[in-house]
Amino acid sequence: MIKIDTTSFIPFYEQIKQQIKGRISVGTLRPGEPLQSIRELATMLLINPNTVARAYRELEREGFIRTRKGKGCFITDDSSTLIRKERTAILNQVFDDAIEEAKKLNLTESEIKKIFERRLSLKTERQKKGERK
Amino acid sequence: MSGILALKNLSKSFGRKKVLEGFSLTLKKGQVYGLLGKNGEGKTTLIRMIMGVIPPDEGEIFYKDNKIHFRDDSYKREIGFIAEESIFYSWMSIKELLKFNASFYPKWNAPKANEYLEKFSLDPKTRIRNLSRGMKLKLGLIVTLASEPELLILDDPTSGLDVPTRHDFLKEIIKELSETGTTILFSTHIVHEIEGIIDNLGILKFGRLILDENFHDLKNSVKRVLLTSNDPIEDKIKIEGIITQNINGTQCEMVVYPWTEEKKKEIEALNPASLEVKPLNLEEIFISFA
Repeated sequence: MIKIDTTSFIPFYEQIKQQIKGRISVGTLRPGEPLQSIRELATMLLINPNTVARAYRELEREGFIRTRKGKGCFITDDSSTLIRKERTAILNQVFDDAIEEAKKLNLTESEIKKIFERRLSLKTERQKKGERK
Repeated sequence: MSGILALKNLSKSFGRKKVLEGFSLTLKKGQVYGLLGKNGEGKTTLIRMIMGVIPPDEGEIFYKDNKIHFRDDSYKREIGFIAEESIFYSWMSIKELLKFNASFYPKWNAPKANEYLEKFSLDPKTRIRNLSRGMKLKLGLIVTLASEPELLILDDPTSGLDVPTRHDFLKEIIKELSETGTTILFSTHIVHEIEGIIDNLGILKFGRLILDENFHDLKNSVKRVLLTSNDPIEDKIKIEGIITQNINGTQCEMVVYPWTEEKKKEIEALNPASLEVKPLNLEEIFISFA
């Protein structure tokens, strides 16, 4: 169920895009599945149809959905690969930012690696503990 | 074409009271324009002028580049109008009212009217005087949408109605938008309901628009700034564009417009202990400016 947060920094069309991508990513929207029509989603969310149209247009341009004339929009076969790519790109950015922060502290390469390994093992440990509970 | 509707320098006084003074607004085709203003700021006066009910003292109104003259009815056949209290002939039955309107509007869509009658479960034989407020609004919607308007003017159409009725009304407006892309001038007191619909916002104050901007851009440029200091804040913070400011001990909360990088730097130069910048929703924007 798509929801709009009116107090968010994120524009409405972007919120729609992100939520649809999120659903593709967790597999609740699968390749070949139809999206709600622009009119349906706009009346459900009580927002301007142009906003929904913009979200769909951008999702189509990015390759996540495809419009079949007279039939509406459908999730593409490539969508899950694209999501993975996009998420990987975000992950790379997060690492880059982390490295940038580390450089500000004048840490050496091996120190950065050590931090990363420590964080990773801490996280794994915590997860194991959580599972036991 | 300089917009479907252009209002230029409108002024209007009632006795000594100046209601509008140098009011200008241009509505582009396909735009959904939200017009907000506190009670008594002149929204209804303005809309009554557009509808040719009262003449402006000064200024001009253009519909599709043609100057509108007071008591000229021709352009009204292309405009749909729904107000809080729509004026209907109470002795007529619904069927008679629709027939009456069909003769006035050249593009009257009778099948659409019938489709809506059925959808809203309105009996064409019912006399208008026997309809509730909610049913009258639905009837107003039928008359308006069946006339296939190029411009839809909504003057606080849902005020005093319950939430489900208001939602149904909005849904029909959005459906119409997605089918015809009609231009809308939407004036309302239930501000949050139009937040997702409008693409332009105007705030009426002191007889003119103190704000007239693309809503998407506006949301990026109006910001709530929360600032804390280590010591009590004694004096008001002075930077340009502070719309409201509240100081409470070591805290200061401001609404700033337009919010820019330069202003951020100016505030950071005050060395605050903490600084938080947040967006405002439509209701908060209205409260700050009105």
